[in-house]
Amino acid sequence: MDVSRRTFIKTTLIGGAGVTVFGFSLAPVYAQTQGLKIARTTETRSTCPYCSVSCGVIIHTLGDKAKNAIPQVVHVEGDPDHPINRGTLCPKGASLEQDIVNERRLLKPQVRRPGATEWEDISWDKAIDEIAVWTKKTRDATFIDKDKNGYTVNRLETIGWIGGCTDTNELNFLAVKTMRSLGVCYFETQARV
Amino acid sequence: MSNWWAKQIQRADQLAPKANGSKELLKFYAQLLRAQKDIYEYLCSREGWLPSGDLESDWPVLSEAFPGFLKVVEKYGPATLAAEAHGLSATSDEVAAERLVTYWRSASDIQFFEKAFLQPYLKWLAESGGRPIGREISASERYCPFCGGNPQVSFLQNKETTAESGNRDLICASCLLSWEFRRVVCANCGEERPVKLGYFYSPEFDHVRIEACDTCKHYIKGVDLTRVGFAAPIDDEIDAAPLDLWAREHGYTKIELNLVGV
Repeated sequence: MDVSRRTFIKTTLIGGAGVTVFGFSLAPVYAQTQGLKIARTTETRSTCPYCSVSCGVIIHTLGDKAKNAIPQVVHVEGDPDHPINRGTLCPKGASLEQDIVNERRLLKPQVRRPGATEWEDISWDKAIDEIAVWTKKTRDATFIDKDKNGYTVNRLETIGWIGGCTDTNELNFLAVKTMRSLGVCYFETQARV
Repeated sequence: MSNWWAKQIQRADQLAPKANGSKELLKFYAQLLRAQKDIYEYLCSREGWLPSGDLESDWPVLSEAFPGFLKVVEKYGPATLAAEAHGLSATSDEVAAERLVTYWRSASDIQFFEKAFLQPYLKWLAESGGRPIGREISASERYCPFCGGNPQVSFLQNKETTAESGNRDLICASCLLSWEFRRVVCANCGEERPVKLGYFYSPEFDHVRIEACDTCKHYIKGVDLTRVGFAAPIDDEIDAAPLDLWAREHGYTKIELNLVGV
């Protein structure tokens, strides 16, 4: 049969009423094509952040790669090619999408004052100012430079830091540098992976 | 293994009445599958004979099934194929053998008769423990490890009982066997960067998608058996022919044309 793939593609596209290389009419197929609603997703392999098992996941992101469009995570599943979990996920890992897309997720800082039972909203500027004031005040009042035997320890036992499992390497790096420079001992980044 | 062919035929028969744009394609493909099943059963039922894997020496046995196959194509195929089938049935055995051997050495997806006729032979060859002789088999994971053929379609299927995710397999266009392939990799060029790999979905074909690569501009269709467990990838792939036209309109080329030429 003296027809190349190039010729076939050409006949397919011109006017939408071409035939396939084997002679099948494409007119009805083309008509259906016109009504298709097509969405593009991307699949990105990653690692579940929740625990030290480090299961592989595939993150499905919806977006047509347009410059102004914000990609939207639509699904997270276990990576079947990953040697640790081979496509399986625990219930927490299976809900990973909710870590990213959740209308109840906090988007602004909150504070619970001493003695209060409710959390109140606070602006970022005010939150940072208050943290700075309280950190300075607490550190000045409770910093331990020498222990009871006279050894230099330079530690601060009245402030602690708890990180989250989804914190990035960069955030954890800054947290370590900042807390260690203050002398904070009770420090946990929750970095497991 | 006739059950495999029966399942494909049943699925094509099931899809054809409900199909919109691809109705005629599926009706023909159902008949073609029946002809292929006949060839397969004829080869399996030969007493004291197993395929050697050398097409030239197996041709005397194969040639007996060729006329029946041509008759089916002539009866149910479009005018182009019917005319060619008619012409082939009038030629000598040697001419037909030469065409098949040429395809055997260097397969092409626009050689309908060769590809369709040899699929049941290669399938039976694999199942009977033989190996194809005289075909170049690449070590690349993107080619069929048995016969070196291109992938026709990919499908997702659960292999771990506790997993919701589907493992990805590719089905060979030449021998119809499947082999494991990684999920987030282009089946044509091996591209792995997520930003270069696009997965296109349409609500009209809920369990079929286009798996396209922006690096080599090729695509393959994927059938998700974790969504529709009774689907048959090679049938459902034809049913979703409108997706092929959409992909081509957007600059992608299919890795391997199927037996209806889309």
